[in-house]
Amino acid sequence: MSDSILVIGGGFSGITAAVEAAEMGYDVYLVEKESYLGGRVAQLNKYFPKLCPPTCGLEMNFKRIKTNPRITFYTLADVESVSGGPGNFNVTIKVKPRGTTPQCTNCKAGEAAAKTEVPDEFNFGLSTRKPIYMPHPMAYPNQCVLDTENAAPDEIEAIKAAMPAGHIDTSQSEETVNLNVGAIIVATGWKPYDPNKITNLKFSEYENVITNMMMERLASPSGPTGGKVLRPSDNEEPKSVGFVQCAGSRDVNHLGFCSYICCMATLKQITYLKEQNPDIECYVFYIDIRSPGRKYENFYKKVKEMDKVHFIKGKVADILPGSAPGSVKLVAEDTIGGGKKEQEVDLAVLATGMQPVGAESKIPGIEYDADGFVVPKEGIIPCGCAMRPIDVVSSGQSATAAALKAVQTIARRAG
Amino acid sequence: MAETKHIEPDLSFVRGLMEAGGDTVNKCYQCATCSVVCPLSTEERAFPRKEMLWAQWGLASKIAGDADVWLCHQCGDCSAYCPRDAKPGDVLGAIRLNAIKYYAEPKALSEMLSNSAGVIGTVVAAFIVWFIVAFLWSLHTGESFPFPEGTVAYHKILTFVPIDLIVLPIVALVVWASWKGISNFWNDISAGSGMVSYTGTGPKPAIGPLFSKYLIPALQEIFAHKRFEECGQTKERAKGHKLLLWSFIMLFIVTGLVFVINDIIYVPLFHEHFTPMPLWNPIKIFANVAAIMLIVGIWMIYQMRKQKTEEGVLKSSEQDWILIWLIFAVGATGIGAELFRLMNIAVLAYPIYILHLATVVTLFLAVPYSKFAHLLYRTTAYVYQRYEEDMKAGKAGFGMEKEVLPVGEEAQEEGKE
Repeated sequence: MSDSILVIGGGFSGITAAVEAAEMGYDVYLVEKESYLGGRVAQLNKYFPKLCPPTCGLEMNFKRIKTNPRITFYTLADVESVSGGPGNFNVTIKVKPRGTTPQCTNCKAGEAAAKTEVPDEFNFGLSTRKPIYMPHPMAYPNQCVLDTENAAPDEIEAIKAAMPAGHIDTSQSEETVNLNVGAIIVATGWKPYDPNKITNLKFSEYENVITNMMMERLASPSGPTGGKVLRPSDNEEPKSVGFVQCAGSRDVNHLGFCSYICCMATLKQITYLKEQNPDIECYVFYIDIRSPGRKYENFYKKVKEMDKVHFIKGKVADILPGSAPGSVKLVAEDTIGGGKKEQEVDLAVLATGMQPVGAESKIPGIEYDADGFVVPKEGIIPCGCAMRPIDVVSSGQSATAAALKAVQTIARRAG
Repeated sequence: MAETKHIEPDLSFVRGLMEAGGDTVNKCYQCATCSVVCPLSTEERAFPRKEMLWAQWGLASKIAGDADVWLCHQCGDCSAYCPRDAKPGDVLGAIRLNAIKYYAEPKALSEMLSNSAGVIGTVVAAFIVWFIVAFLWSLHTGESFPFPEGTVAYHKILTFVPIDLIVLPIVALVVWASWKGISNFWNDISAGSGMVSYTGTGPKPAIGPLFSKYLIPALQEIFAHKRFEECGQTKERAKGHKLLLWSFIMLFIVTGLVFVINDIIYVPLFHEHFTPMPLWNPIKIFANVAAIMLIVGIWMIYQMRKQKTEEGVLKSSEQDWILIWLIFAVGATGIGAELFRLMNIAVLAYPIYILHLATVVTLFLAVPYSKFAHLLYRTTAYVYQRYEEDMKAGKAGFGMEKEVLPVGEEAQEEGKE
């Protein structure tokens, strides 16, 4: 029997669940597969509807982690298997080497020495990074990563030589950690649905067709363009932007469910664009605008009243090359005004949905439904987007609820 | 206050549609993906999204007034991309089948010819009728019955006189029913597109422009299968259909030629039969080529439909299969009758010939009453689409046709552009 709790996934939900459980007096292990905590939220420019930056919520939670000795967290770590039952789970974790030591908080010298450039995952390939890199400026833990897979041995040697002594540690190897825990909170979250699967939108054919998460990176001050939304083909400021709602969501051929956040994300991104250029033309092609609740409904109303924001009820089902270089034409039927429409825009944003991570990578010992969401069981408690597609606020609430459930699982057995 | 419009949903219409193969209609959530991915959908009146809504709401009169359902060739592109699996292609197919029933008169014939039992019954009944007629005719000619003596020649059992006596009234019925269906359809689609005069009737083009400006270009398009070949998922289906259509046209020409040469000229003047023609006769060669095209064409259609139905690209109703098998039966018995005649096997040749006549009559009777009627309504829709365009441009309708230039001049005008 064990009194400790495992939280799988160090995104907003996982962090929240971990600190809530730890603050109730339980030992918590937090396992994150990326090299930093914060998950998808860390990639956002702003939250809706308050439009504050993600550091708001994350910083506070990082501080709670830092100051709470009950939390042990692993980054670059994958849960290999889960066995046992409530109160007594055996978990195997593989921790990949980071290649650096904790004092390595700046790797400019190493970056200069490295030659290889690979697409930066954090920016969805909108920029490149070197094999030694800081995942992002706000990364926690604030420690660089040495990417040995993408660098030749002599390049690693060059990086090591360029960096201050003791910063690079190439002797690290993969470690296996075995844990015995009483309850497991699964907060493995989501990934943006692969737009290449929506073949009729021909995502890979057009440079200026991006996803909503790419838009977050473009708008973010820490992003590849320093916070200015520029279109990828020529780094020009777009004068018109089209949003393609339900790109892959509510679609039996892709994600059968509504991803819940994409409508609000688009409305939010219109505010980014309007802040940058009040004259920008925004076109939103939608099936239904889903802005649930009083606050979201008000937000929708606010955006709808903005100048030069056009809502067209009809899903974009084809994208054609535009007449101006780099532009594209969004093809949809305007079901209210009638008739098929081709709207030329400088930049098109696919409001791709959230696919639960469980759809493509499943942890042995955890049960998933057909879509890849985690099936709750006694002692295995999903929260956040591993449970269902939800926004950040609801993720936080579900994480707190999950922490309570995990505590109950342990307390019942102890009692 | 905006004007309130009361919608009267016709639930029996929705039920009928769902029974006819459109059972997925209620899944549609009106995203309009279908209208965009459809290679045939027009700009200003895109389909099939609006039809899905009308069908869900039971707006039978809206559907009846919609020529667009006939511009669809059921390629299945919309169904493939439909995010709800609502299968708009199949729903439109079901709408068309119900429309054929709706315009059919008398309804009993369409009921009879829209299910396999009815069609088989009709073929059997036609066989018996031909058999009796042949028997009565043998009393008149003195040939032995049912197997006349000597070399097999079908005029020994039935000449054109009894055949025409039976067939011509059926021709009259089919022409009347087709005309009636087309006119009612025309009035409905005129009303549906808002093109009605103050008296409530839909304008019709005068006979000259009807042919020169609308029907002939429409037929040219149909004969070339221009739109059908734009279809995505079932592109291959157009090939078989084209072959079949051309074989029908060729066989129609042969039948017409033989009717004139044999029934009108040869027999009355020379008192002997023009048929059977020797195999080297150009008309016979033409006819045999057409017969082979018919069999190959219908076989291609059958294979394609079977494959696409199994893949779930499109749904096939009983009526789809009936028409395929009936056409196949016409071709097979026709070729069989010819082969056994050449082999001079009387016991097989004469019954198969009678069966051939039975299937031909059934197929012909099916023109306005079964899925076969798509040739009437689709052609009409093609014609109407052109006419409507001209009406909207102020070039036709409401007495405007008078200003239409003669064909020659018009061609010159176009040349200048």
